[in-house]
Amino acid sequence: MSNPDDIGVALRMKGVSKQYLGTLAVDNVDFEVRVGEVHALMGENGAGKSTLMKILAGSFNDYTGSIFIGQKEVALHSPAVAKAHGIGMIYQELNLARPISIAENLLVGRLPREYGVWLDRKAMVRQASRLLDRVGLDLDPLLPVEAISQHQAQLVEIAKVLGSNPCVLVMDEPTSALSRDDVGRLFEIIRQLKNRGITIIYISHHLPEVFEIADRITVLRDGRKIDTKYVGEVTPAAVVQMMVAQTIDEFYTHRTPNIGAPVLDVRNLTRKGFFHDVSFQARRGEILGVAGLTGAGRTEVARSMCGLDPVDGGTVEMAGSKLGRHSYAAAMEQGLLYLSEDRKTDGLFLRLPVKQNMVSAIIRRYTRCGIYSSRHETSTTEELIKRLDIIAASMSTEVSNLSGGNQQKVLLGKWIAANPTVLVLDEPSRGVDIKAKMKIHKAVMELAENGRTIILISSDLAELVGLSDRVIVMRDGHLIGEMQKGRLSEDAVLLAMNGQLDETT
Amino acid sequence: MRRPDKTRSLPRLGTLYDCVGIYLIGLLLLVVGVLVSDEFLTSKNLMSVLNAVSLLGIVATGMAFVTYSGNMADLSIPSIMAFSGIISVAALRFGLAPALILGMAAGMLIGAMNGFVVGRFNANPILWTLAVAFFMEGFMRFTWSNNQVYPDIEPGTAGAAFIDIFRLNVGPIPLIVVVMVLMFVVGHLVMTRTRFGIESKLVGSARAASRATGIDVPRVVQMDFLAAAFCASIAGIFITSMNKLGVFYLGKGYDFKSVTAVVVGGMMLSGGRGTMLGVFGGVLVIGLLANIMTFMGVNTFQQNIVTGAVFIAVVGLSQYRLRRRGKDYA
Repeated sequence: MSNPDDIGVALRMKGVSKQYLGTLAVDNVDFEVRVGEVHALMGENGAGKSTLMKILAGSFNDYTGSIFIGQKEVALHSPAVAKAHGIGMIYQELNLARPISIAENLLVGRLPREYGVWLDRKAMVRQASRLLDRVGLDLDPLLPVEAISQHQAQLVEIAKVLGSNPCVLVMDEPTSALSRDDVGRLFEIIRQLKNRGITIIYISHHLPEVFEIADRITVLRDGRKIDTKYVGEVTPAAVVQMMVAQTIDEFYTHRTPNIGAPVLDVRNLTRKGFFHDVSFQARRGEILGVAGLTGAGRTEVARSMCGLDPVDGGTVEMAGSKLGRHSYAAAMEQGLLYLSEDRKTDGLFLRLPVKQNMVSAIIRRYTRCGIYSSRHETSTTEELIKRLDIIAASMSTEVSNLSGGNQQKVLLGKWIAANPTVLVLDEPSRGVDIKAKMKIHKAVMELAENGRTIILISSDLAELVGLSDRVIVMRDGHLIGEMQKGRLSEDAVLLAMNGQLDETT
Repeated sequence: MRRPDKTRSLPRLGTLYDCVGIYLIGLLLLVVGVLVSDEFLTSKNLMSVLNAVSLLGIVATGMAFVTYSGNMADLSIPSIMAFSGIISVAALRFGLAPALILGMAAGMLIGAMNGFVVGRFNANPILWTLAVAFFMEGFMRFTWSNNQVYPDIEPGTAGAAFIDIFRLNVGPIPLIVVVMVLMFVVGHLVMTRTRFGIESKLVGSARAASRATGIDVPRVVQMDFLAAAFCASIAGIFITSMNKLGVFYLGKGYDFKSVTAVVVGGMMLSGGRGTMLGVFGGVLVIGLLANIMTFMGVNTFQQNIVTGAVFIAVVGLSQYRLRRRGKDYA
């Protein structure tokens, strides 16, 4: 303990580098985290955050540089070693087996035994309950994971990782699937962990969250560390600037909406158990925001409206004529398109090249008597790559090799190619970096200017308020109100989502 | 990680293998064949190789669509072959053309059912078609009391014409070889130039994403199984004509052999990848391998061992390649 700087250091990475597919994904990074602090790690997609954390998790055995945990130098060459040194990882995607009970998930690998053979159920429930207590969950440990909410599952995951008594807990975008309320509860847990002396490395794109929960912020860019700052020393704008290396004057440029006649008319749409009597209209050139907490039914309405999910009642009219069959193909014929919230499972063809993704929704248009003409593909793709500023080695690069932001742009491009009349965007910029987000927003505004109708579902309030001309608010499967552009603010939308709609609007 | 253009060298090699690799192996086998026997590199022998793989080739053309669309394999293909043959023979009294049409229709009925169940209800294609194969074997044995069905082969009858189908030549080339090549050409065009082909690729690459792109997935899958049944029915008529009788076990082994040809030809079992040209190469390689082994005096059972081993090796290799590229394609 001779060096005073070392006092209270939980983790120190010195000159750490990692070569990854020909590039230095992490380039000589010094990174230090103190005991009991919440340390935010920020940077655009591809800045090296994930790779740095993977090194910490023991995913690689060929990194260079040295890592100290406490005072001791360690070689984190396998996940088991990392875990033994007290590194706990909580990933964006939960590592839980859904049909299995919470208790078994929590205690996997160390289930209590009776006589060394039989499962000791009582001890299992007891131990599981104790772990659940630590994250403030009061659940029956014998419930299967699929029976609990997303937020609860996230806490179960945290409890599971806490079970191995980590001293450093890495959380990768832990709030991306949580509603505002749940985020608050998660932060409560994080503060409790912190008080117990657990160090937390918090990865997020979400600036307000970081400023709320973190003590210090380290920014990475292009694999290098830019700086580490106390939260009090910097403003969000300064952090953004560190991340993108260019000043952003105005995140949302003002646009004069050119709103025309109603295009989409949804009346009394109902899907039992999901949403009830939802009616709204959207006009030509309008960006209509849809606000609501997770589980309020926004995605469900959108999917049913487009024919992707069933409906129990109500009608959807496009330009005055009812949609024929209840199928997505019928909706697409009318130009009613849906950009899915989950690009990986039902958005992109990850294993196919950029080009084939871009044209996947317009095959029908270029087919005559069953014969498909591929002549348009190159020019269509070139134009969209240029328009959306997509960074890809070539248009035959597999989409899975692109960064998250570029993948999301390809997804948007695919639907732009399909020439939408009404385009439903479900979380169009979730989990993408700021530059990509700005590009996506610009493209959305351009679409509206060209007379397309945009329906924007977003949990990012800044995005929702910044882009929308009008916002409708959903809560518990019902449409509970509407807010006009002039009255839009993040606070007002947040209150409305929670059921406190200002009646004067 | 820094820039996304990190894809250069690795997949290129793989793609190269997918297209040309199988023909390099074929070339290698030709060399081996020359070393093994003087009679190998004669036009007579090579034609007999083509003749011998024709049935397999015809079946594999159809099977390729099932694999391509991510449905792995249609294991009911042997029963489709046997059934179309039996029905053709049984219907010969209505004349040759009606018999062939009825035979094709019977086989494709099974394909339609497979496609409907797998496409519409998301049944596991392997298990479902296995069950259908089991059912059809029982059905055929019961209906025809475990007997073989013989055509009337008096000269001038429809039966005699039916028996001739397998034995016809177009110039110097057997009809069945012409049919096989034709089917590969048409299959290639369908796979690459039609909406059905493109949509099969998309469905094979990502089923959920295809649905969310507005593709009628059940219909596409239905068509893929119909294509497989169509090809199997044609093969069924040829094999029945070759044996001069229809019986429930005629297509035996063509399920596995055709999947082997498809996979050896570079088509991924996980779907969405591969070409008809590659599958044709796969069929040729399997034919050459069998031919060389015959020259070397390897018996049929030992040949089966080799075919099985080749399949295991190729599937293992393609999985290894996927993993090396760091893709967790579940």
